[in-house]
Amino acid sequence: MRENYKIIDISYSDITDIMLNCQKQGDRLVQMHAVSIPSGAILYYSVSTGDNEFVTYKTQVSDDVVLPSISSIYPNAILYENEMKELFGVNIDCISLDYNNRLYRINVETPFKKPAKEGE
Amino acid sequence: MIMSKRSVIPFGPQHPVLPEPIHLDLVLEDEKIIEAIPSIGYVHRRLEKLIDKRDFKDYLYVIERLCGICSFMHGMGYCEAVERVFDTEIPDRAKYLRMIWCEMSRIHSHLLWLGLLADAFGFDALFMQCWRMREKVLDMFEASTGGRVIFSVNTIGGVRKDMSKDMLKGFVNEFNSMEKEIRRLTDVFLHDYSVETRLRGLGILTKEDALRFGAVGPMMRASSIAQDTRKTGYLAYNDIDFDIITSDECDGYARCFVRINEIFQSINIIRQAVEKIPDGQISVPIKGNPDGEAFVRLEQPRGEAIYYVKGNGTKFLDRVRVRTPTFTNLTSLINILPGSELADVGLQILTIDPCVSCTER
Amino acid sequence: MKSIPLEARLIAAAIYFIAAPFIGGLLSGVDRVISARMQGRKGPSIFQGFYDIVKLLSKQRNCVNKIQVMYLGSFLFFIIFTGALFFAGCDLLMIFFSLTTANIFLAVAAASTNSPYATMGAQRELLQMLAYEPMTLLTAVGFYVATGTFKSAEMLTQIDLPAIVSLPGVFVGFLFILVIKLRKHPYDLSTSHHAHQEVVKGISTEFSGPVYALMELSHWYENVFLMGIVSMFFINNNPWSILWSIAASVIVYLVMILVDNTNARMKWDNMLKNTWIATMVLGALNIFILHIFK
Repeated sequence: MRENYKIIDISYSDITDIMLNCQKQGDRLVQMHAVSIPSGAILYYSVSTGDNEFVTYKTQVSDDVVLPSISSIYPNAILYENEMKELFGVNIDCISLDYNNRLYRINVETPFKKPAKEGE
Repeated sequence: MIMSKRSVIPFGPQHPVLPEPIHLDLVLEDEKIIEAIPSIGYVHRRLEKLIDKRDFKDYLYVIERLCGICSFMHGMGYCEAVERVFDTEIPDRAKYLRMIWCEMSRIHSHLLWLGLLADAFGFDALFMQCWRMREKVLDMFEASTGGRVIFSVNTIGGVRKDMSKDMLKGFVNEFNSMEKEIRRLTDVFLHDYSVETRLRGLGILTKEDALRFGAVGPMMRASSIAQDTRKTGYLAYNDIDFDIITSDECDGYARCFVRINEIFQSINIIRQAVEKIPDGQISVPIKGNPDGEAFVRLEQPRGEAIYYVKGNGTKFLDRVRVRTPTFTNLTSLINILPGSELADVGLQILTIDPCVSCTER
Repeated sequence: MKSIPLEARLIAAAIYFIAAPFIGGLLSGVDRVISARMQGRKGPSIFQGFYDIVKLLSKQRNCVNKIQVMYLGSFLFFIIFTGALFFAGCDLLMIFFSLTTANIFLAVAAASTNSPYATMGAQRELLQMLAYEPMTLLTAVGFYVATGTFKSAEMLTQIDLPAIVSLPGVFVGFLFILVIKLRKHPYDLSTSHHAHQEVVKGISTEFSGPVYALMELSHWYENVFLMGIVSMFFINNNPWSILWSIAASVIVYLVMILVDNTNARMKWDNMLKNTWIATMVLGALNIFILHIFK
């Protein structure tokens, strides 16, 4: 048997509202990560509810979008957000502890980011 | 340096109490900590990026090397995720074998942790005895998989080595005799006066904070949140009878208590698993290339770990993501540090059972 | 009243000066072997302490600043001075204050390096001195009350019954501070016996090579002196008592090793509380009772 989980597609502008809602319900943030796509990224925000159900919110952002940080809602988002910012080049604003792309001390800029397709 | 004004003490990355490099800038007022700012990145190897260069079958051997202690669990989590993308169900015997190895990993990891904790509060005799116990578990790993640190016994679609009936019986007998010895050791942790004075009231993390800071694993259960990813029933955990171990005390002692009881719980799970293990195949063949995405959650010794795999129909995966327990427990750590004394910093770092090399990948 | 001639006292001091490093080194070697056996290990050779010193002396001399060596040299000098005074049978009060002076030099040597861990170690060393100083004073006073003199040489010749008979409380109180002085768990706060623990060897963090060898040497001198104090409790005017007082101090050392291996390191507030309670209850009460019944 495997665990069932939900993946819900959302728009990136709703992220703070949804996360705030989750936090009010007593869910915990279990992970955030990004998957690089040409000229943008897909972001995953996973929470676990009180009954330990796994829910993931999935959203797509393009390079020019500036996302608000959810680190004031979930303090443990800082590391995830710094990671997204440093490795994937996702623009995240107002992280409560911003390492300014020096979290992993690497000398390559946004190594996980896929180059934009030609002609775009 | 430490006068009545504020001073900053660099803690790590090469602090001897830390098994792995992590750096904390501790802002102190006398010996009281006002703020702790962590920095990581000393052992970042960008293993997740290596997925561009290695196909999904080879990558298994990369992901096992994320960490030396939960190496089995990492390999297994990745395999489970890829199997989920393929929508393949592995044979029951393989599930049980994986479960036994998982619980053995948990026992040796917790014994390692107990040893490190004893070392951190300066109880050398206890440290040596804990690690001596752990050595026996490693011997069992060597007998069953051939490796002591990296096992490479998982494969996508099952496991590569079977354990004979005699071997399993032998392991259970060994664990039965070990249980008494471990009990004698853990009684010291739970009842010794000097140990208790160090652990009681150390780094209190309330239930609300634990939720807010996203604590996982024993850290969370010690703050009286009864969540154990094993209860979601991956592998064959649904067939096994076990309770979630929690504690209401929320301090270092509670974390120690939870981990100690998990050792005995794991021994119990192994006993049940050996009784119930079905005969049959240990792996199924996998054909084709993965396409699609999947999450897998599992309970590592340090807490819940999440594996994410995204395939694109070629033999190279698009993305592999591992969220290790320490990565999220770090937030709890920097929030329990303020207000404590410098003498307790090493111990507090240890109570989250940090595994920095999995954290940084 | 017979007294020990000056020559004999000087010879005793000279023997201490020459033999103490060997006895101290062997003591540390035995300590390591027994600790190892208690932890289920084999342990090094009992001469390991000497090998270490020889190796440390052969290393490049590398120190943070020159003044540090001077302070450490003063530490060594005062420790030897303390021990020599003791074995020459001088005033106990003088001896204990000389010991304090020595330890202040050690703390200053560590603090002069400006390294955070060494400074913290120095601070804790001062705290430790605060914790054990009242008891050392009471020990001296206790001997005075029991024997009527502060001079250790006179005690040797005057008393019929060993001091332990009238000073059991002071003796146990002294054992408490002996744990601190020998830098054993649970009270090895300023050095953390192993370099991989909370204060990274604290006070000795910034000493290396030959300079560190000096420090080890001083500790050996200090340990022998402390064992001398322990035997003072068991000695009387019978010359043979020297033998069983040595046996008693060996047993005390074994007890210290046992305590070392069965305790976690405490924090300073706990140390202060416990040692002061021991001082007040055991030490002061003992002397008080002695006063009444004398």
